[in-house]
Amino acid sequence: MVEHILLYILFAPFAGALALIFVSNRQPMLVRGIAVASTFVCLVAAVYLFYAYDPVKGGFQFVQKFQWSKELGIALHLGVDGIGTPLVLASAVLLFTGVFVSWHIKDRTKEFYIWLLILAAATIGVFMSLDLFFLYFFYEMSVIPMYLLLGMWGSHTKKYLEMTDPEGIKLRDSVGFIFNFGANSKEYAAMKLVLFLSAFAVVALMGILLIYKYSGLDTFDILVLREQANLMNIPVLGTTLDKIIWILVFFGFASIAPIWPLHSWSPVGHAAAPAATSMLHAGVLMKLGHFSIIRVAFEILPDTTREMMPIAAVLCVFSIVYGGLVAFYAKDTKYVIGYSSSSHMGYVFLGMAALNYISLSGAVIYMFAHAMATGMLFAMAGWVYDQTHTRDLPSLGGLSNKMPFIAGCFIVGCMASIGMPGTVNFIAEVMIIVGSWNKYPFQVIVAVLGIVLTMAYLFNMMRAVFYGPMSQKYSHTHDAVATVDRLPLLVMIAVSVGFGIFPMQLYDVVRSGVDPLVAKITYVAPVARTDDETGEIGRDPASGANRLPLMTPHSRPLASYALREHE
Amino acid sequence: MTFDLTISAADLLLLLPEIFLTCWLCVVLIVDFASPRLPHTRLAVLSVIGLVATLACLAWFDVAHVSGSLFGNMFVLDRMAIFFKMFVVGSTALVILASMQYVDRFTLFRGEYYFLVMMSALGMMFMVSANDLLSLFVSIEFSTLGFYILVGYLREDLTSNEAGLKFFILGVFAAGLLAYGISLVYGETGKLVFSEMTPTNTTGTIIGFLLIFAALGFKIGAVPFHSWIPDTYHGAPTPVTAFLSIAPKGAAFAILIRLFFVAVASFKPMWVLLLVAVSILSMTYGNIVAIAQRNIKRLLAYSGIAQVGNVLIGLAAGTKMGSDAILFYLLTYLFANIGAFAVVIAVAHAIGSEEIDDYSGLNRRSPFLAFAMLLFLLSLAGVPPLAGFIGKLYIFIAAVKEGLYTLITVGLINIVISMYYYLVVVKKMYINEPTDPSPVNISGPMKAVVYIGLAGTLVIGIYPQPVIEWVVDATLMFSNMVGPSAVVTPSLPPFGG
Repeated sequence: MVEHILLYILFAPFAGALALIFVSNRQPMLVRGIAVASTFVCLVAAVYLFYAYDPVKGGFQFVQKFQWSKELGIALHLGVDGIGTPLVLASAVLLFTGVFVSWHIKDRTKEFYIWLLILAAATIGVFMSLDLFFLYFFYEMSVIPMYLLLGMWGSHTKKYLEMTDPEGIKLRDSVGFIFNFGANSKEYAAMKLVLFLSAFAVVALMGILLIYKYSGLDTFDILVLREQANLMNIPVLGTTLDKIIWILVFFGFASIAPIWPLHSWSPVGHAAAPAATSMLHAGVLMKLGHFSIIRVAFEILPDTTREMMPIAAVLCVFSIVYGGLVAFYAKDTKYVIGYSSSSHMGYVFLGMAALNYISLSGAVIYMFAHAMATGMLFAMAGWVYDQTHTRDLPSLGGLSNKMPFIAGCFIVGCMASIGMPGTVNFIAEVMIIVGSWNKYPFQVIVAVLGIVLTMAYLFNMMRAVFYGPMSQKYSHTHDAVATVDRLPLLVMIAVSVGFGIFPMQLYDVVRSGVDPLVAKITYVAPVARTDDETGEIGRDPASGANRLPLMTPHSRPLASYALREHE
Repeated sequence: MTFDLTISAADLLLLLPEIFLTCWLCVVLIVDFASPRLPHTRLAVLSVIGLVATLACLAWFDVAHVSGSLFGNMFVLDRMAIFFKMFVVGSTALVILASMQYVDRFTLFRGEYYFLVMMSALGMMFMVSANDLLSLFVSIEFSTLGFYILVGYLREDLTSNEAGLKFFILGVFAAGLLAYGISLVYGETGKLVFSEMTPTNTTGTIIGFLLIFAALGFKIGAVPFHSWIPDTYHGAPTPVTAFLSIAPKGAAFAILIRLFFVAVASFKPMWVLLLVAVSILSMTYGNIVAIAQRNIKRLLAYSGIAQVGNVLIGLAAGTKMGSDAILFYLLTYLFANIGAFAVVIAVAHAIGSEEIDDYSGLNRRSPFLAFAMLLFLLSLAGVPPLAGFIGKLYIFIAAVKEGLYTLITVGLINIVISMYYYLVVVKKMYINEPTDPSPVNISGPMKAVVYIGLAGTLVIGIYPQPVIEWVVDATLMFSNMVGPSAVVTPSLPPFGG
């Protein structure tokens, strides 16, 4: 029963989607009920998973393996480590709250929930896949629901709606063509998102196929590949094969993260998407990128990762600064949050690039924390949009009188996003900054300035939406009063603040996943006993002298880890 | 050479499906003549019963491992032949089910329609068993004969007539190429049976095989032999288009596999290059031109050209796994394509249009049809968890093992290009609002075809292992094929020897 917990988490949303097919759209409450029930099962199981995960034991737990195709070397191999567990929890929380955030969708309710559930289940599938094939399978599967969610229930930008002259209407209705950048319609956003993500997904797929071919093991199993695949020192095209694979995998997956020059689909997509989709998109879909890089590049090519990761350290600066600046000047609530997400993903890349225990743990916790914070912000931006039918910052204002609850939550959301002490974001940011300081002091300075920038644009948005004079046309708006409207925000605030005050379980879990990985990557000199321990899942073979004991994470204060790192 | 033409009862058993189907189509024809007032749907049901019985017989052959060869190796029945026969018969049954409503449009000769469809299927059943150049020629012409008539079946429709004429002229031209190629190859090698050939590297042999390949390329519609495809697909009655887009391709690939893997296996370094070039051209041309299409049948025609390019990747891999992947891919293509055409037929019946613009808001008019079309198109595009994704991946895995990186790169880029035009149709169906919101109804047999297509697309996508095992068993005879990567340096025999 308990050992199948991953299957419950993964298949509860699928089962919900399947059940919804047989329900009529004329019974909206039944539709919502099924959605709530399936996501609730998913959430309860994910919470159980999070607390049942044993950080002392570490490694991959709750492993499930079903042979799927012998000829192709594919198995449905599921398992979570300390990195996957919190992300599964974050996905479950955002899915559960997302169902409530979408409560008032009237058009084709059933279809909306079907695609939302499939999207979330696919992302959860990535976080627990231990097989490269299924990792890609779920990854690609999460893209198409986005197209329909954006296209069918999304919203156009103001710029698009302003085109009312005949020429403009002609232009804006020709949006079937991708190169029509003038028209920021939801169709354009949806198409751009899908094509962009698919294009880079196939780049990653090329990397995966090369791993499959050159490992010569005829398997896609990550656990086998990371122990046995030897992809080093194969010369090809003037460089070595492992570098090419690493580049393919890194940029293939980093596009969804999104790293700086590949980010442009993301804010457009955020802006067009309905609230719950933005939440899942920013909250968990973007983390698929970091997670897949960790799972594929870090696990299978540790030595190449050590060599190549400075690329991420360079690009993350652009992510942080560019995203922050655009967010500061953006005039659309969702663009602000969207670009802020792109900017904040730069912090995760910084933490990953520094490659030590503290910074990488910080990066993983940041993914979790950012999911909650940005989920809140998008949920509230969605509420404001539903009430006012605009996302245009200059025309909004003074809504705090009309919606005090939303305004209050918005402050909490901004605080969380900034990384105020008391929220889990604070812990993550401190860990990234402390952990990266020795290796990348310049980037850390930029990151700290980026926090100031975050403060600037979020306060700016808060002022523009909730304070100042209110236009009369918004006098009909009202606050979130009903339980179903308040519940999602309260849940996300509770998770964010709860883990901000009691972070130890989260920290222990993440450390148990990060420690063996960092030990494997940063450990340079070969040791005689490399091949003996391979049988045991979750143990790295190269357990060297600088590996920290997993058993007693509590016994050391944070600073002593940081100091030990660089002895 | 001498042929042993004495046939024993055991030999006749090998021909049982063909003999049965021949008798059955005579029955259909006689019933049609004998009772002209009988509604044609009865004939359709009768035909489907016959085809299902044939399918059952083939399934029994497959389970019982019946195999052998006849007429001095002209006709072989191995597991691959059985696979392709089931492929052809199955797709024919689905096409007849999907035709039942459409046949009302024909003013004359409604009964003969079913006869002709089954006759073409019979020809293709011989085609997949063809093991020498003569039976190859005869069976190809036999199966194409029915198609010549079927494509021009809408007598009053000019586009249908044009399609028929175009198909006929180019088809006869291809037949000429085939005959010329066969004569050259026979002149050089002195052999007709594939497995007995020991082709040497002479000008005549190479030109001969190139001509044969061109004729088969015409059948599958690979670039540069594709020029008949869009107009013929567009003008032909839609069920015939569906038939034409699936069954002959499967049958022709059966012959291509035998030809390349058996007859000219020793020329492998050379034909790999040829196939790589044709595959890249087909995929890229098909996908890029498909973007500009406004008519759904033309879109599916160009997408079909691109899909053939994908299948050719498996052939270029030239290994056992490559042939497995071809079989698997064709099966996924069968379900997705027949399903998509069924939706096209159903929609055209309801709204009288095949323009993509008229699919606007299909989701509101018929959620079922829109959802089915969505899944079929996404399967063609290769999106998990649908069958097309596994098919593409299977082919790519087979190719990557042989180190065909250029081909895979082009194939992967083409996935993204194809995604665009399939999604444009999805956008029309799901995002645009309908101009006429009246619901679109769908008849029973059509629903059955769509359900079968959906079931195949989803089941193979989610749990492909039984099908993988099936195709792996079907091509066991190619286990000894080695890839070009096994050849240390592919030293090319000079063209023209």
